[in-house]
Amino acid sequence: MRVRTWLAGAGVVAVVLFGVAAPAFAQEDEEAPEPVTTSEEPESTSAEGEHEFSSKEAEHCAELLEEGGKIDDCQQSPNPIVPAVNEMIWGTLAFLVLLIPMWKWGVPAVKNMMALREERIRTDLERAEEARTEGEAALEQYRAQIGDARSEAGRIIDEGRQSADEVRRELIARAEADAAEIRERAAQDVTLATERAMAELRSRVGELSIELAEKIVERNLDRDTQMALVESYINQVGAR
Amino acid sequence: MATETGSKVEAYARALVLIVQTEGHADEVEDELFRFARAVEGNDDLRMALSDQSLPAERRMAIVEDILGAKALYTSTAIASFLVGAGRGRELPAIITRFVEMIAETREHVVAEVRSAISLDDQQRERLAVALSTATGKQVEVRVVIDESVMGGILATIGETVIDGTIRHRLEKFKELL
Repeated sequence: MRVRTWLAGAGVVAVVLFGVAAPAFAQEDEEAPEPVTTSEEPESTSAEGEHEFSSKEAEHCAELLEEGGKIDDCQQSPNPIVPAVNEMIWGTLAFLVLLIPMWKWGVPAVKNMMALREERIRTDLERAEEARTEGEAALEQYRAQIGDARSEAGRIIDEGRQSADEVRRELIARAEADAAEIRERAAQDVTLATERAMAELRSRVGELSIELAEKIVERNLDRDTQMALVESYINQVGAR
Repeated sequence: MATETGSKVEAYARALVLIVQTEGHADEVEDELFRFARAVEGNDDLRMALSDQSLPAERRMAIVEDILGAKALYTSTAIASFLVGAGRGRELPAIITRFVEMIAETREHVVAEVRSAISLDDQQRERLAVALSTATGKQVEVRVVIDESVMGGILATIGETVIDGTIRHRLEKFKELL
């Protein structure tokens, strides 16, 4: 496709170069109109007394002068806007020469290129649409994920708050139980210490009482008392 | 070990019974040895000295003779000295206790260990033996040990039976009540 495009371009360039030069060349070959002579001298005449003119314009000018015209009528310049007929012909031919290859190769190439460009643009637009759609879908998905994440975060925060509350309640309950146990243990310790002190006190009082009693008994246990105790023992055992 | 020691105690006690029955004065020897055994039992230093194998046997026997020599019969001193010299100072109280029981058994009697703060005369011993026989239903022989720790009254031990009528016992009961 690219080769054909280049060939078409080369043909167009060739036609422009050679086709445009051809009318110019043909114009140079064309005899330039003789300038209208304005001399008073008549034109050369043939032997039979009739003038021979070098061109039709000269002959036409002679006729205008004979009819009482002025010389200015013979020297009217060509219309600057309307081209010469030959130029129109050659221009038309050159246009056709250019038009045919352009129509045959250039237009299809341009159409093809346009179609390709259109297809590419359509593809790009479709891709952009797909990308936009995908982006919107991704955005929706992200939004949904963000929503899920937020709800999950909220749930986690709620669970964490509940767990913290439970832990706090457990800690408080445990601390209260520990405190109660410590108080109870302290009370038991106090009770035990009191009982132990009372027992020790009673024991000490008992020991002191016994020591005192022993001293009193030893002081009062004379021989007669000892004998009386022995006799009392013998009598009691014998009475069993 | 305990069985071996018990069999040795039994054997020595049986030998002492034969010796005492051969030599005579069984009651006096029995009584002296019994009191000596209680003295050893109640005196840690004496018991350790008589049980100390590092001391020469002659030295341990001299200690026994110093204690019993002039106060006891020759048979009693000789028996105690023999036991200590044979290295049985530790088992001496058990041997003599078992010996006294065997002597009593030969007479179909049981021995009552009586602890008193004062010594008892023969009449009191006989009356006490009768009273204990009445209380236990057995023929009782009294062996008296002077023990001032009882303070007053009598503590009688007959086998597993204990009849405590001492001042010490009453004071301890009073202490328990406190």
